[in-house]
Amino acid sequence: MDLLINGSNHTVDVAPDTPLLWVLRDSLNLTGTKFGCGIAACGACTVHLNGQAVRTCVLPASAAQGQAITTIEGLAQGDELHAVQQAWIDEQVPQCGYCQSGMLMAAASLLANNVAPTDADIDSAMTNICRCGTYQRVRAGIHRAAKVLQSRAPKSPIDMPVPASLDAQAGGAS
Amino acid sequence: MKRRHFILGAAGFGGALVVGWGVMPPRSRQGKPELLPLQAGDVALNGWLKIAADGAVVLAMPRSEMGQGVHTALPMLVAEELNMPLANVRIEQAGFDAIYGNVAMLMGSLPFHPSTTEGPDVATHIRATQWMVSKVVRELGINATGGSSSVADAWEPVRVAAATVGARLRQAAAVQWQVPLESVRIEAGQVVSGSERAGFAQLSQAAAQVDAVTVTLKPQSEFTLLGQATARSDIPSKVAGQAVFGIDVRVPGMVFAVARMAPTLQGDVASIDVSPATALAGVLQVVQFPPDAQSAGGYAVVAKTTWQAKQGADRVAVTWANGEGALADTVTIAKQLQAAVQARDGFAFYERGDVASWQATATSQVAATYDAPYLAHATLEPMNCTAQLLAGKLKLWVPTQVPGMVAAKAASVAGVDLEQVELVVTQLGGGFGRRLEVDFVAQAVRVAMAMPGQAVQLLWEREQDMRHDYYRPMHVAALSAGVNADGVVDGLRIDSAGDAITPRWMARGLPKLSGPVDLPDKTTAEGLFDIPYGFAHQRMAHTATNCGVPIGFWRSVGHSHNAFFSESFVDELAHAAQKDPAAFRQALLSQAPRYKAVLDRVLKASNWGQVLPADQAMGVALHESFGSIVAQVARVQVMPGEQWRVVEVHCAIDCGVVVNPETVAQQMEGSVVFALTALAYGRIDIEAGVVQQSNFPDYPMLSLAQTPVVHTHIVQSNRAPGGVGEPAVPPLAPAVGNALFALTGKRRRSLPIAGIAV
Repeated sequence: MDLLINGSNHTVDVAPDTPLLWVLRDSLNLTGTKFGCGIAACGACTVHLNGQAVRTCVLPASAAQGQAITTIEGLAQGDELHAVQQAWIDEQVPQCGYCQSGMLMAAASLLANNVAPTDADIDSAMTNICRCGTYQRVRAGIHRAAKVLQSRAPKSPIDMPVPASLDAQAGGAS
Repeated sequence: MKRRHFILGAAGFGGALVVGWGVMPPRSRQGKPELLPLQAGDVALNGWLKIAADGAVVLAMPRSEMGQGVHTALPMLVAEELNMPLANVRIEQAGFDAIYGNVAMLMGSLPFHPSTTEGPDVATHIRATQWMVSKVVRELGINATGGSSSVADAWEPVRVAAATVGARLRQAAAVQWQVPLESVRIEAGQVVSGSERAGFAQLSQAAAQVDAVTVTLKPQSEFTLLGQATARSDIPSKVAGQAVFGIDVRVPGMVFAVARMAPTLQGDVASIDVSPATALAGVLQVVQFPPDAQSAGGYAVVAKTTWQAKQGADRVAVTWANGEGALADTVTIAKQLQAAVQARDGFAFYERGDVASWQATATSQVAATYDAPYLAHATLEPMNCTAQLLAGKLKLWVPTQVPGMVAAKAASVAGVDLEQVELVVTQLGGGFGRRLEVDFVAQAVRVAMAMPGQAVQLLWEREQDMRHDYYRPMHVAALSAGVNADGVVDGLRIDSAGDAITPRWMARGLPKLSGPVDLPDKTTAEGLFDIPYGFAHQRMAHTATNCGVPIGFWRSVGHSHNAFFSESFVDELAHAAQKDPAAFRQALLSQAPRYKAVLDRVLKASNWGQVLPADQAMGVALHESFGSIVAQVARVQVMPGEQWRVVEVHCAIDCGVVVNPETVAQQMEGSVVFALTALAYGRIDIEAGVVQQSNFPDYPMLSLAQTPVVHTHIVQSNRAPGGVGEPAVPPLAPAVGNALFALTGKRRRSLPIAGIAV
């Protein structure tokens, strides 16, 4: 089976019903994508299929053939981190970090579809589980990355409205 | 080798002190340089630190990183003491010497009331006990990351280790440059005197020859790094998907195993036919393992990939045996605990005044019974261990909080000497106490023994992880208080019951230290016997049970349920006395100023008493654990259909000297989510020995949308550091429960509390 992952073609010898997660992890040693629940409940296994977030622990590899697969290893453009990765560093989001590959892929997908997500948009899009409880910083990280992406967008005016909800992002150390 | 001498002239927080060998405990925790493995150009200066050829200082890291920031915090201690850039401090995993044992964690397990261990007049018998225990635990050298103790434990030995390195570098420079020692300073990672200047590596060989030095630890007033928000060193790799957790270990030629255990907690295989599994493509072998360490027996299917192993595991034809003893049932256990509480014959952890005469003379009484369920840890990275038995040597890669116990367990299972075990501690995908256990290591070693030479990664699926945990034990407490003729609450009696964790953990992890009789265990009573309020008459007793369910340490341990019991009940007393719950507490804290300061801080920050919309109210709770005091105010909103949500939590903490305030805020935020998850959803039900929950749909986790905004307020302190990873968990449940009472008039005395809005 041929899979297009992070811009490169990979030929793997697996049963077609093998979940994409295990092809990535065990056949290709792309271990950034994690196993958490096996039933698509936690999102630790999230990757992009043609830019859209999908949970791969229940996705047969055959269903990903012929599509552009992006994993956390391919989210950065060379040495330049994706805006969400940089925002995650700036906001010091991860704790144990185990969920964060999936969390970042979900956040990047959200921002690809919605350049200025509101808090409500984030609430409904970000359903990944973080046992360490980094959600407050995940929210702050998405807002920060959104601002960066808006400022980079060639056609977006400088006075692009900042989501009103940003003002509600209080918290952090006093 | 000649023992190196040093004199510690530390400007301690309690005043200057000078300590020489004569009064040091018999085993110094500085250690010999020989403890550190050397690469070319490395010079080791003690058991903690070496100087690399590039001038970096390398710290032997005995603690595990599970998101609490310890791999940044301990290097910060070194960088501060050596006046060097944090980026030039590297870490290497420490070995197994006793100097790396966690003394602070075990000292924290002593059941002393805080009022008896604070201040200048600590009783002789308490000081003697502390001294004896510290001696013993130093000799034992139990290396564990737990009890929110890593910084507290490292605070002295790591800073002294760094200070002696600095003193020896300066001494070496003074001799080399023929200048007075007093003129030699360390600035920005360089040794300087006048126009002379040298990097650490240039002086490291000479520094190693310096024998006796006098060191003075840097006083808090001169800190430039400690107390500054500092980016964690582990985060860049975690956003790139490059951090190596246990399941990310890759060894050339390795194979993958999936473990399946008996459905009952301590059951085993009765009969097994592996042929349907081994007939599958990719399946290599099926290995049976026995019940061990209070866990269940079962089998592991080994295959070329995890998915093939899972397919094989599904096809093994197995029948199960229940194992020894009665099958646990949580409904029955709950009744047993209620009866044990009513019997009122527990061990008294604390007594003050005369409870018997108070109970006879009180004009009115308030009484209530509280309970909390079993809980699973549910680390997001399920249990796993990679093992390879090659030519008599056992190599392990394990996400663990207890490397020494893992190595000992693995050696014992494999029948090899401890010296033949090599252990790599990976990043931990969550710990919360679950990775203080060694059950899954024993299984992986047995599989590796069945496949000599082959590296095997053994993984538990979520369902196994949920059904074969060492659970937070169920607990019940009956609390009663009396109001005297003046209308003052002056007596408090608490009788609680539930399993003691420490003796069970010792029996499975440290069997040689486990005694024939369970001693009173602080984990059962912490958070009940040590409350700060000045009730004149108090008695707190606990009946330790042994219900047969495997139990273990769960983030904040006994405090996790006991703070809910005590701080909810104190709220009941405030309402019975018709006082504001915050003012009621303040009035009882005249002898506990440190607690009162934290409470006052959170009340001010939350604008306690402000007029809120009719559907919202605040609740407050105050609790000390792991050396730190936390007060929280939760603002809760009720919605139609008896639903509720937590809008906002203000969290004030006095954790002593703060190393990294960024980490403190992260841990406050994470602890609120962890505690709110348990409050809203957490319960493990056991029927006929089988845990009923199995995965996140029936053991739910709080979602981002349900997460309140958390504000962290750090109370400045010059005390030695306390814990940060756990102390914000206990007060959350009572703060929310108290707010719900203020809103609904209904007192919640049983966890979890249903109705959180999705």
